[in-house]
Amino acid sequence: MEISEAIVQAAKYVGAGICMGFAAIGPAIGEGNIGAHAMDAMARQPEMAGNLQIRMIIADAIAETTGLYGLLISFMILFA
Amino acid sequence: MTLSKKEKTFVVAMVVAIVVVWILALPEMGGMKDLKDAGIGSRWVYTFPGSEGSFFTRVNFLTVGVGLLIVLFLIGVTRGIRKTYSIVPNRKQSLVEYLLQYVYDLTEEGISDKRFVKPVFVIAMTLFLFIASSNLLSGMPGIGASIRNGETYLTIFTDTWYVPTSDLNTNGTYALIVLIVSHLFGIKVRGFKAWAKTFFEPTFIMFPMNVIGELAKPISHSCRLFGNIFGGGILVFILSYILKFLFMPMFLWGFFGMFFGLIQALIFSVLTIVYIGTQIN
Repeated sequence: MEISEAIVQAAKYVGAGICMGFAAIGPAIGEGNIGAHAMDAMARQPEMAGNLQIRMIIADAIAETTGLYGLLISFMILFA
Repeated sequence: MTLSKKEKTFVVAMVVAIVVVWILALPEMGGMKDLKDAGIGSRWVYTFPGSEGSFFTRVNFLTVGVGLLIVLFLIGVTRGIRKTYSIVPNRKQSLVEYLLQYVYDLTEEGISDKRFVKPVFVIAMTLFLFIASSNLLSGMPGIGASIRNGETYLTIFTDTWYVPTSDLNTNGTYALIVLIVSHLFGIKVRGFKAWAKTFFEPTFIMFPMNVIGELAKPISHSCRLFGNIFGGGILVFILSYILKFLFMPMFLWGFFGMFFGLIQALIFSVLTIVYIGTQIN
């Protein structure tokens, strides 16, 4: 392997790692907020807990989307 | 511990299946030096001869084939329920009734106009059934295709199932259908002039922003599902590569296939209801 190819290969791995790491920040904050507020609401109204849990999971999955865009980009960097 | 005859046959079948999968998988996994050899992310696409590069003459056989299999499976299940249909439901019928009732309640919440509840419910439920049953397949070892050194190999139980929802074309088609259908509903409810006027709100200058906002809907709608299922399949493959497909896939399938798959299918249909609801209300 030539030195230039080796540099490109190494840069791919570094780039994919940085991409995934930064992409995970936003969804983590968002899901933390969703979880915290759902807990608040459940503590205030325990009879709504089942209903709230389903809504919380749906909101979690929507907040996760931006992280998944990062995942797709890092897969494209690695394998495409 | 006492087992009934049915449970005994189930356990024996599971053990036989694991051993068979292991024997089938062993030689192929041994020859795979690097994960890059597995051809992750490559697609088996057949181009009809004499039509190089055209979009409409390329076929992805696995998407079409597995999609047809799922449709046939769903038709079989519904026919089976219809045969034993009764006022007092049996187990299968009550499961399906519960599912339909759940989505119907969501539709009634999202659509204020009573005339359009049933058509929207039919669209959302059809999408949910197809996407959920194809997502349930996604984390399991099954039949797929991989490309190594420019040649296509059919992988049998050495890769996860290639499901239609891990192909962006399928998801993009569904998202586009939802976009077009929602605007058709909007035209029907308000009339063409009032519908066209919604693009110029609040002022005339905002027209490009409104158009971009509408075009961004199907992109995020389809990429959400695609990223979850495609990424989940690759994560299952990479993690079980360590254990050579022995026990890991069952637990991983429970997480990526059942949990994420069902949630994403529900979200796809909930967003369908919401997008159509914003045009109707």
